[in-house]
Amino acid sequence: MYPEDPNEELDFHCAEMKAERIGLGDSEEQAERFSRAKMGNRTTTREEVYEMHPLECLEAFTRHLRFAVRTLARHKASYAMAIGILALGIGMSVAMFSLVDAVLLRPLPFLKQDQIEVIWKKDPLAGPVVEELAYPELRDLQESIKEFEAVALMPTTLYGYARVLSNGEAEPVQIESTPVSHDFFRVLGVTPAIGRDFSEEDEHPGAGPVVMLSDRIWREHFSSDASIVGRMINLNGQGYTVLGVMGRGVEFPRGVGMWVPLGVSKNVVERRGATFLQAIARRRPETSHQAITTAVNALFQRQIVDHPESYSKTQEAVVTALPEYWTGSARLHLWIMMAAALLLLLAAMIGAGNLFLSQILSRRWEIATRGALGASRRQIILQLAAESMVAAILASVGGLAIAHFMIRLLTRLAPPDIPRLGDAALNLESLCVAVGASVAAAMVCAVVPVWLVTDKHLESALREGGLRSSLSRSGARTKNAFMLAQAAVTMVLLTMACLLGLSYRSMMTADVGFANKDALTVNLVLRGPGLFSNMPGTQRYTRFLDRLRQEPGITSAGAVLVRPLEGPIGWDASYEFEFEGGGKEGKQLPKANYEVITPGYLRTVGTPSIEGRDFDEHDVEDGEAVAIINQSLAARIRASGYAAIGHRVKLRTGLRRDWLKIVGVVADARYRSITQTGMDIYIPFLQGGTVAYAAVRGTRPKAELLSTMRRIMAELEPGQALAGAATIGELEETNAARHRFNMVLLLWFAACAAVLAAAGVYGVIAGAVAERRREIAIKTALGAGRGQVVRDVTARCIGYVVAGEVLGMAGAVALARLGSDLLYGVSYSDPFVLGGSFAFLLLAAAISAWLPAWLATGSDPRSLLQSE
Amino acid sequence: MAGDSKQVDLLQGTLNMMILQVLQQGAANGYEIAKFIEQRSDELLQVDHGSLYPALRRLEAKAMIKGDWRISPTKRKARYYSLTPAGKKLAGTEHSRWRTLVHAITRVMRPV
Repeated sequence: MYPEDPNEELDFHCAEMKAERIGLGDSEEQAERFSRAKMGNRTTTREEVYEMHPLECLEAFTRHLRFAVRTLARHKASYAMAIGILALGIGMSVAMFSLVDAVLLRPLPFLKQDQIEVIWKKDPLAGPVVEELAYPELRDLQESIKEFEAVALMPTTLYGYARVLSNGEAEPVQIESTPVSHDFFRVLGVTPAIGRDFSEEDEHPGAGPVVMLSDRIWREHFSSDASIVGRMINLNGQGYTVLGVMGRGVEFPRGVGMWVPLGVSKNVVERRGATFLQAIARRRPETSHQAITTAVNALFQRQIVDHPESYSKTQEAVVTALPEYWTGSARLHLWIMMAAALLLLLAAMIGAGNLFLSQILSRRWEIATRGALGASRRQIILQLAAESMVAAILASVGGLAIAHFMIRLLTRLAPPDIPRLGDAALNLESLCVAVGASVAAAMVCAVVPVWLVTDKHLESALREGGLRSSLSRSGARTKNAFMLAQAAVTMVLLTMACLLGLSYRSMMTADVGFANKDALTVNLVLRGPGLFSNMPGTQRYTRFLDRLRQEPGITSAGAVLVRPLEGPIGWDASYEFEFEGGGKEGKQLPKANYEVITPGYLRTVGTPSIEGRDFDEHDVEDGEAVAIINQSLAARIRASGYAAIGHRVKLRTGLRRDWLKIVGVVADARYRSITQTGMDIYIPFLQGGTVAYAAVRGTRPKAELLSTMRRIMAELEPGQALAGAATIGELEETNAARHRFNMVLLLWFAACAAVLAAAGVYGVIAGAVAERRREIAIKTALGAGRGQVVRDVTARCIGYVVAGEVLGMAGAVALARLGSDLLYGVSYSDPFVLGGSFAFLLLAAAISAWLPAWLATGSDPRSLLQSE
Repeated sequence: MAGDSKQVDLLQGTLNMMILQVLQQGAANGYEIAKFIEQRSDELLQVDHGSLYPALRRLEAKAMIKGDWRISPTKRKARYYSLTPAGKKLAGTEHSRWRTLVHAITRVMRPV
């Protein structure tokens, strides 16, 4: 259905008109002239007929595309640069978006996730630690807050509730499990895929033990056997009935493998002092987060009045929406990275737009000529748009390839504490982002130049012979603005990357108080009856450690309650010193990190002793109650005028509530986080307490140490499981993984940005010298030195870069100050970082500017002037 | 080209209407259509040939008229256009619309 050529029809019309005029007495020539004048521009008419046809639009489009591809191929070098720059920007943005999408945007597998609130307490007097709830508070919440549809309790940490699954065949395995109150899954809005949910009958002291399996554990350890429901499995040597299997992806708290009822022991259900829990609650859709926070706070105030013996007067509620709780601080970090990626995309668009602009400026003769030959402005604009579209399509293909590579790299580097980061992949959403970014890029690359190609500019380009025309003047202004913005953006990224790099370095070189990076630690809890069932747990652990120490290749062994850098988990103990004379009875006491250790533990992990002694085999239950404290705590005692050794301290946590004599002071060690120091109190294992992690050090590699441990375990403690083996060095790495991840990302961003900025400056100067060829030649001919000319050409450009850098520096300081919790051991306004970034970028810009200018001024001015 | 789009729209609308009106009396070629409009308007309306043929093609694309090649009285090969049933219907509605419009404008423009 292609429209016929109207030519024949128009010929007929002309002929009829001519015949008519001749009939009226005109000469042949007059008639011809008349009919031609009357017909007007025949080509325009034909074009109009053609253009109304849909197929013709398509053809015009492909014609433009063909021409665009040819143009791009002809100016390979500069367009390849522009496309490469855009691909880099699009790739980084798509990669970062995929991460943000996987972690933050994709909804959790829970019904109406925004209505779920996580509730705990804080107490400004006790410090920044989380204050927990106890089981009786479940009823408080249920009875007094009517805005809740359902409330449940769960422990604040995953740690400490793991159970060992043994089926009699394979080696026993330790599986993370969480005790929850029976409404837990109703709060989350999920139901088991098979089997039934917990009910009230499952949760009371004396109820038969039941367990809910996660989909993952069901697949890994029960080979997806649906008939497991209703059967008994062996956990910690006790039979549990499997109630059901949860749907895929439901793993809350993160990493959990199974759930058991919480309120099955009198100790937990009745005591207000047994605080280790947090509440999760589903609020009614018509209430707000704010209203819930107010209601919970009011409840906690009433608790102070109703149970003054159990609650501190300064307790406050902390209510967090589940999605925020789930991602924690990763939220801020990822958004910062996303912003950095967008900045990079912006820089890439600016750079590519700049190169396109240079191209169009150098092709303005061609464009002006086409305009003069009758190409409509619309067609010229369409042509330029087609060119930038082809470039954008190529760039987004390249960008997707870069994104694919980046996502694979980043998920491999992924810190374990960012949930679902490993799920990041290129998907429909990220493709949409890529398309969006490339459309935006095409717009920037096309619209700005198109704006310049107005009728006025076109005419003056021809009339004034192209040189120094208004087109190039406003073009130069736009270019300079581009360059300024780009320098600013690069400066921000460069500064941030350097700050994070320095932070990571000071983190990895910080004295964390554990000198033996090669010491191997494993999670090992001796549960249930052992081989000699009458032997108490303490003796069993001691025997295990003694046996380890006898092994060749093992130089020291010990055990601890919570191993170093296991995360933010740990026990806090309220303490008071003797000189404080019990005067603080009933008052809020300061808290310290509480660790139970065996003799030899401190030597194994390499925490140096400052004074006094380590625990030994004489520190037993009927011996004198003793403790070891860290240096910071010792400094507190000394500040009051007492010697630390021999002084006495009393704890409000743990089994020993009597006065403990301080027998040793050790260096500060960072148990919770590689960047956080605090007060530590160590209690001897043999005087009461539990340990959950064994530490060994030896002359053998990690794998051999581990297999030795397994062998001795199988021999002495069959039915027990080792889990989470890691050396101190690895724990440090994991703890700093988030920082490393951020640093690697930002460094990569900054490197890209610096490349972009340099390419941008190069492009601008190359364009400028091409445009001012004649001027440069005349100057040289008149005797200007080469250095002088180069300075002339580059001075203004460098000026803009410097201005951009200054702007960027201000932005970087503001941004770094905002995110100063990401920094460690370096100030957000570190003068060396700022100065260094400034100088580096200036140097890069100077070289990129100097190179094309120097090359251009080397040619003989005569040849150029003669050729024009 | 861009500036006077309003005027072009108005002209196009009336041109279409007049083409349909002319073709109600039977098939005609482009030259005859133009001639007829000029004669009937006492040469007051001059048909711009640059818009006549695009207008014909547009009407044809909308299946309001159809064109076929015949031999003209002057013994030349010419494209003759005639109304399709849809075109006949459109001619009727355009005609009454035009009359209503003219009537209304006349009432507005009569001396106060």
